[in-house]
Amino acid sequence: MSKVLKICHLYPEVLNLYGDRGNILCMKKRLEWRGIDVDVHECKLGDKQDLSDYDLFFIGGGQDFEQEVLLEDLRSGKGDEIKKAVNDGKTFLCICGGYQMMGHYYETHEGVKCEFLGAVDFHTIGGKERMIDNYAFELGKESGGSIVVGYENHSGRTYLADGIKPLGRIIKGCGNNGEDMTEGVRYNNVFGTYSHGPVLPKNPKLCDFILSTALERRYGEKIELEPLPDALEMQAHDSVYDKIISGTIK
Amino acid sequence: MSSIKTMLGVLACKGARASLRVAKSGGTTLPGRAAMFFDKNILADVSKNMDIIVVTGTNGKTTTCNMLEQALSSTGVDVLANKSGANLLKGVTAEFCANANWKGVPKKKYAIIECDEGALKQVVPLIKPKVILVTNLFRDQLDRYGEVTHTLEQIRMGVEKAPESILCLNADCSLTASLAKDVPNKVVYYGIDCPYGEQKEPEVSDAKYCINCGEEYKYEYHTYAHLGGFYCPKCGYKRSQTNTAVTAINKLSAKGTDVTMEFRSGDKVDKENVLISLPAIYNVYNAVGAVCAYTAAGFKREDILKSLSVTSSSFGRMETFDLDGVDVQMILVKNPAGCNQALTYVTSMDEYEAVICLNDKTADGHDISWIWDAEYERLASDDSLKKLIVSGDRAEDIALRLKYAGLDESKIELIKGWDNLVNAMKKSEYPVFVLPNYTSMLALRKTLAEVTGAEEFWKG
Repeated sequence: MSKVLKICHLYPEVLNLYGDRGNILCMKKRLEWRGIDVDVHECKLGDKQDLSDYDLFFIGGGQDFEQEVLLEDLRSGKGDEIKKAVNDGKTFLCICGGYQMMGHYYETHEGVKCEFLGAVDFHTIGGKERMIDNYAFELGKESGGSIVVGYENHSGRTYLADGIKPLGRIIKGCGNNGEDMTEGVRYNNVFGTYSHGPVLPKNPKLCDFILSTALERRYGEKIELEPLPDALEMQAHDSVYDKIISGTIK
Repeated sequence: MSSIKTMLGVLACKGARASLRVAKSGGTTLPGRAAMFFDKNILADVSKNMDIIVVTGTNGKTTTCNMLEQALSSTGVDVLANKSGANLLKGVTAEFCANANWKGVPKKKYAIIECDEGALKQVVPLIKPKVILVTNLFRDQLDRYGEVTHTLEQIRMGVEKAPESILCLNADCSLTASLAKDVPNKVVYYGIDCPYGEQKEPEVSDAKYCINCGEEYKYEYHTYAHLGGFYCPKCGYKRSQTNTAVTAINKLSAKGTDVTMEFRSGDKVDKENVLISLPAIYNVYNAVGAVCAYTAAGFKREDILKSLSVTSSSFGRMETFDLDGVDVQMILVKNPAGCNQALTYVTSMDEYEAVICLNDKTADGHDISWIWDAEYERLASDDSLKKLIVSGDRAEDIALRLKYAGLDESKIELIKGWDNLVNAMKKSEYPVFVLPNYTSMLALRKTLAEVTGAEEFWKG
């Protein structure tokens, strides 16, 4: 019997900046190319539904002025369901604003505190300077250890609590806060990152790692994904990586 | 009486411009910098008493300016226009200085000026335009401006600094039209009063929620992207009644569009059939916006209506080249909204080859992630596409995007270097449609101009 993976795209109508929906497309194609069925469901503002049905959740980045409507929706119950799914070991890919939302709070530069989900032990402080550029980081061993290229664009500085692991270590760029060389978070099966780009198409190893994490949780066994011909993917990855390292992106 | 500072500034600017052209460079900001070194506000002097229309907004600035300029020129007057695309303060200053005599007095009386959204607040207080036309707001070059609402605020700051200017707004864009709120300016609206295309929500909307209250907009009809007959069911913000409107789109073709326009002032309504020589729906918007701004500035409507039927394209925007017998058409594409429209146009053609060029230089934005928000699936699923060539600094990213859009990898060829690309295009058995972004358009156009003998942009 062919395998299936159920993906829930949270707030696609609000959190849709910087091509992040390319991540959904990437996961979908890479599952389909391997003969694995995939069911992508869009969960929008105000939708009431049972999130326990899904294996993998995707949350992208959004525009600030639209974030408030979203927090209201989270407070009306969806937030608790998300926390439960995190504790159940469900797989999450959260980008930028979606990543920040998984932490305890966001404090603006002026000191206004905005309560977030608190699903993972970290918080974010608004900074004056935006951290914007192509960047690269090396994933931790527990996330496959490959090198990721992406594009960061954020003013929030994220600080992980003691004992919380980052997704990776910065090779070039700012990452979580521009201070401690960490980038993103890896907690249970939550993968949080500042990387737009979108992050997955140019980093197929990370994509496959996330997919197998979700499949293993669903089927309760080790899953080896069949290798795919990734020449175009790696060509795009390598060309950007070379530019980042040599500083010739401008 | 002009000051010594003004004279020195004008001289410095003219000198810098002349030496750049001797060196065959199209450099457009250095002369402006030279002028401003002597007089920071020199632009106010060298634009004094001129009748000026300024065009800003995300998409369509250059083409709209072109329509306005050609209309005005057709009446026999000399028009100053910043055709080279230098639309920041320094570039605009350079254009006006070049038009001034050595005392700093302008030679031409009329100017059509394209202005960057962020530079508007610096430019308009100095040149005091009669009319400011805002075309639309889409997500564009996000790494430069942050977010689309930030761009909107930049424009608002500009408008507030020119309270005497008539504001000419696209009524169909909820973001643009919101500028009318709380500004002292007289406002006129233009738009398309009828539905166009598939009546469905775009996959990614740049303005889904009400700018005032956050409620989701509803639409009486759509035209393209987030444009159309929007209204907010909660706070009542809605599309305004238009002064200049397209009320019917009669015929669309690759050669242009035949529309019906209505002109309303008070109780008086005039109606006319208008032929727009440039194809695609976004040029209908550019045309109706140009007519609205032109008449708001006090010029005669007949002149622009006549001129629209023969307007030629501006560089890189639907521009055609004969490349050793191969028909080449270039369509500048800088953001998802514009890209989707260009793809709709291209995929309506019979058999063709497509070329997509993507650079990530500062003028393009270093962030090229928008290509994942554009619907390249339309291209990938089109059987008339015989081959796709990708080129530019980020050719690899475009190749990957098209792979995930479903295009067979064997149809994709990656070519680096503009000479190599032009040579490959020469070999095409089909018409070639080129979709470059900004700096790749400039670079490829230069090479094409050398081969085909087309004009260089700064000589235009």
